[in-house]
Amino acid sequence: MAPTVMPPELSSPDADILTRPDVGLDEVTDTDLPWIVLVWNDPINTMEYVALVFQKLFGYSKEKANALMLDVHHKGRAVVSSGTREKAELDVFRLHEHGLWATMQHDE
Amino acid sequence: MPRFGRSQVVRRRRRGSGFELVLSGEMRQVLRNLLGELEELLVAEPNDPSLRRLHPPAYLDDDESDAAYQLLAGDELRTSRHEAIQAVVSSLDADELTEDDLWNWMQALNAVRLVAGTRLDVSEDDVEPGPTGPDDPNAPMWAIYGLMTFLQHEVVEALSG
Repeated sequence: MAPTVMPPELSSPDADILTRPDVGLDEVTDTDLPWIVLVWNDPINTMEYVALVFQKLFGYSKEKANALMLDVHHKGRAVVSSGTREKAELDVFRLHEHGLWATMQHDE
Repeated sequence: MPRFGRSQVVRRRRRGSGFELVLSGEMRQVLRNLLGELEELLVAEPNDPSLRRLHPPAYLDDDESDAAYQLLAGDELRTSRHEAIQAVVSSLDADELTEDDLWNWMQALNAVRLVAGTRLDVSEDDVEPGPTGPDDPNAPMWAIYGLMTFLQHEVVEALSG
C-alpha cells in the first residue's frame, strides 16, 4: 500500500529510499494495518449498554461511542477498531466478553 | 414532582468513592439463584443453543480461522464469565460495590439477558417485547429478562454518572 502523498525528497529518481528508511514509512505503516473489527447489531443488547462498552474498551468519548453505537443500530454493523491481527483478535475477545457480537476481517 | 430516572438500586456514595447496593434480601436471593442456574448451564451444557450468543463467531468467511479462535479463546471466555458471575454472587453479601464490581455486574447480568433473550427468541421486529398474557408459558422467562434489563439499566446509569 503506497502512501498517497510522495514526500518531495523521494520524487527525484536519484533519491535512494533504502538509505532513508524513515522517510515516508510512518505514513505507510500507519495506513497499512490490515485488520478491522466490526460489531454487529443484535436484538438483545441495549443501546446504552453497547455505547458504554465502547467507551470502556476503546477509551472513546461519550459522543464517539454513541455515534458508533448508532451506526451499529441503523446500519447493521460498524467498524470499531483496526490494527494488527493480534490486536483485532484481542479486541474481538474483549467485545465477546461483554456479550457483543464482533468479528474481524481484512480491511479492503 | 418525583424525579424520574434516578438510580434506585445502585447509588453513588456521596462521600468517597464506591456505590451503595440497595437491594432487598429476597431480590438478592433471586439473583443468586439465577446466576447459579446460569453457571450450572455453562458447565453442564456448554453447547446448549441458548448459549450461542455467549460465544459468537469471530470470523465470518473463514471457518478454519474461526475454529482456531474458538479453541484459543473459548476457555478464556468461559473463565472470564465464570469469574464475573462469582464476583457478583460474592458482592451480594455486602452493601458496597466498587466500580470494578459494577463491571462484573454488567457482564453477568448481560450474560443472563443474552441467554433468556435467546430462549425467548427476541427479535428486532418485536414491537412490544413481552409475554402475550398471564397464561403465556414464557411469562416467567420474560420476568427474568425484564428484571435483568432493569438491573442492567441501573448499573449503566451508575457507571455513566
